[in-house]
Amino acid sequence: MSAAKKYKPMDTSELHDTENIANCLKKSDSATTNPGRSAFAAQNMNSSSAAAAAAASTTNGERLPNFSKLGAHHGNDIRAASTTSNLLNRMGAIHNTKPGDVKKIVIKNFKAKPTLPDNYSEDTYIKLEEAVIAIQLSKPIKYSLEELYQAVVNMCSHKMDAQLYAKLKELTELHVKRNIKLKELTGGSMDKLILLEKINNWWLSFCQQMIMIRSIFLYMDRTYVLQNSSIHSIWDMGLDLFRIHFAQNNVVQKRTVDGLLTLIEKERQGSTVDRGLLKSLVRMLCDLQIYSSAFEEKFLDATNQLYKAESQRKMQELEVPEYLQHVSKRLVEENERLLHYLDSSTKHPLIYNVEKELLAEHLTTILQKGLDALLEDNRLNDLTLLYGLLSRVKNGTSELCGNFNGYIKKKGRTIVIDPEKDKSMVQDLLDFKDKMDVIVRNCFEHNEKFTNSLREAFEFFINQRANKPAELIAKYVDMKLRSGNKGTTDEELEKTLDKIMVLFRFIHGKDVFEAFYKKDLAKRLLVGKSASVDSEKSMLSKLKQECGGGFTSKLEGMFKDMELSRDINLAFRGHTLSNDRDVTNLDLTVSILTMGYWPTYPPTEVTMPPQFINPQQIFNKFYLEKHSGRKLQWQPTLGNCVLRAQFDAGSKELMVSLFQALVLLLFNDKPTLSYEEILAATSIEDGELRRTLQSLACGRARVISKTPKGRDIEDGDQFDFHNEFTNKLFRIKINQIQMKETNEEQKATEERVFQDRQYQIDAAIVRIMKMRKTLSHNLLITELFNQLTFPVKPADLKKRIESLIDRDYMERDKDNQNQYNYVA
Amino acid sequence: MADDGENSLDSRPNDDSKPEKMFTLKKWNAVAMWSWDVECDICAICRVQVMDSCLRCQAENKRDVLGRQDCVVVWGECNHSFHHCCMSLWVKQNNRCPLCQQEWSIQRMGK
Repeated sequence: MSAAKKYKPMDTSELHDTENIANCLKKSDSATTNPGRSAFAAQNMNSSSAAAAAAASTTNGERLPNFSKLGAHHGNDIRAASTTSNLLNRMGAIHNTKPGDVKKIVIKNFKAKPTLPDNYSEDTYIKLEEAVIAIQLSKPIKYSLEELYQAVVNMCSHKMDAQLYAKLKELTELHVKRNIKLKELTGGSMDKLILLEKINNWWLSFCQQMIMIRSIFLYMDRTYVLQNSSIHSIWDMGLDLFRIHFAQNNVVQKRTVDGLLTLIEKERQGSTVDRGLLKSLVRMLCDLQIYSSAFEEKFLDATNQLYKAESQRKMQELEVPEYLQHVSKRLVEENERLLHYLDSSTKHPLIYNVEKELLAEHLTTILQKGLDALLEDNRLNDLTLLYGLLSRVKNGTSELCGNFNGYIKKKGRTIVIDPEKDKSMVQDLLDFKDKMDVIVRNCFEHNEKFTNSLREAFEFFINQRANKPAELIAKYVDMKLRSGNKGTTDEELEKTLDKIMVLFRFIHGKDVFEAFYKKDLAKRLLVGKSASVDSEKSMLSKLKQECGGGFTSKLEGMFKDMELSRDINLAFRGHTLSNDRDVTNLDLTVSILTMGYWPTYPPTEVTMPPQFINPQQIFNKFYLEKHSGRKLQWQPTLGNCVLRAQFDAGSKELMVSLFQALVLLLFNDKPTLSYEEILAATSIEDGELRRTLQSLACGRARVISKTPKGRDIEDGDQFDFHNEFTNKLFRIKINQIQMKETNEEQKATEERVFQDRQYQIDAAIVRIMKMRKTLSHNLLITELFNQLTFPVKPADLKKRIESLIDRDYMERDKDNQNQYNYVA
Repeated sequence: MADDGENSLDSRPNDDSKPEKMFTLKKWNAVAMWSWDVECDICAICRVQVMDSCLRCQAENKRDVLGRQDCVVVWGECNHSFHHCCMSLWVKQNNRCPLCQQEWSIQRMGK
């Protein structure tokens, strides 16, 4: 009985209740050798407050008796006995030593139940009440905490826990009521801030008091409260009472909430406030679970009102970028507010409300007032901010996108529509596209919606002016691909071409582009002015990719012709060397072009001297032998020549057009010629001849002189060989005068495009009618618009339909004027 | 007149006594267009210009740069001309020229 010996005799607090014994057993189940220590450990595990832990450790000795009764009263109980191994061993020994002479150890209950002193409960009540009141008034307590704790344990052990709980509740309620009354009485007149501080202090001390009280009543909290699910723990009971009275008392609650709102508003206006106080009070509201009902709603209302007024004022005062800065600042502030003292559940409604008041309500105004300027001035940072803010509100990005689209259309139109700006149009378009691309990429997060919108807007405005943009783009490409475009590397050129292709994609009338491109390409190839064959080929493959092989097959044919011509010329040179001596003086190179691939050049007849005619005939013969069934049509407008000229100052080489050469060669026979003589000798077309003479007599290099002097060639003018001509260069290129011609050419090219289009329209109409047999006018027009790849006017379509009716491809229905029948 | 001048130049290219001509032609880069030497430039069978590939070839050889090389012109003894492709299909049905109903025989082919 070594363990039992240690136990003191039972004291008054001994338990009889079987339930309590079971409780003790549970606690001691884990203990084997030292129940006292394990009890302490168990107690320790259960205590959450330091005070309780202290009480347990000091009462170690006194707790022990609880276990003594285990051995004493329930020794016959195997379950009970087995809890202490010593006892078990002891009992085994007894059985073993005396097998025959059986001596039973009978353990009997005490005769008299231990009782409490009569006035114990009353005394303890008073003791505890005094202590609680002392705590509530923040006065020193008469009794030691240990004593109080033990008293609570004892009360609970003797089934007085319910009364004790009721008593405690009553005391707490009284205290709360008293305090509330106090606040109510003084609160009305008190400054809000002071009131808030008071309330805060009261709350904090209330919490502290409740912790203290709970520590004392911990035993009750752990036993009585846990067993009755219907009642609150001491802490919750305290909060509950606080809430009931705080919430009931409108004056105090309202003043508190108002105070909070005032503080927050002050902070929003820029003054510093005690965030700790705010945080503590908001926490209080949260703990009392009246945060959302009493505070949040009002807070959000106040927020809305404040920002509604503010946004209206600021929209008036500030420029859009500044306003955006302001909004972003506000959002940061509100987020900080959330972080520092507001409950996180407010985050969504608060931010939503701020965004709504500051942004959503003014969406249209912001965009209308500010977007264009931002885009115009390329203010990337502000645009990024704008996008960032607008993407937070509903419809923000789509509104932004719409306005962005509108701006591009408006701005793009000004670039495209003005004939005065034709010269820089393509470059402007490229720059504009670049700029918008950068904005979409950097500021609008590469949002697909914006990319598409950008594309759509470009396509829209570029086709606002028919044909001209296509023509100018073709011209721009020509300029880039022509030699003499120094300072750009192949890579740069490639990049430029890629950008051009982007613009090209927007163009509806791609045939216009093709016509002009082809004309320029022809010029580049024939004059040998192409900067790089690789770039030409690359451009061609781009076009092919974009529009398909049908679009480029003729252009490719042009390149092929140039290659074939090279071979033919080599063969021809070999041929002349072996056969004919006449041509060896003259270095003749012929570019053989396939009719149909190349632009059509107006046929002109000129009188050529035998110098030209002879080799030409030899070549003709040579070529037609090689390629039977063909005929050759020489193009005097396109060729160029090199002439050796003898001036007083020495000999020069002149690079001239065929026409210029024809004129100059006339001077070999007669040093002075009149305009009429030249006209008769060359039979060059009048306007062309005037331009040619102008280039020779009035240009930069004047190899002939004109009398009378003057810029324009008049009938009857005389021309002389200009013997005194000097120039520091040996090879001189005499430029043709082209000014007028380009205009005509341009007209001609456009004319041809329109002609081609008419055929395409005719073909489409017949195709559709052949399939449908009968069709109403409107349906036919709709189908045509779907099929045709270039822009057309309904009026033009009507004309084509009329023409087809005239030519008996189709007829109007006899009964219905609006219906057409296909005529097979 | 020009003819005479030309001859005199050619006959005395290295005659030093005569002063050199003011202008001498050194080089000529000429340009000429070729087309099939046909009376009617539309193939009566496919109604496409003979300079272009026939319809069939246009549809099939879209990506062939040298489509034309396969689609040459053919002349019959009657001097009518068609795409060779078109005609070779035609004669399978009817060995007569579609225009004049003469017996079809090839006079020459374009190359």
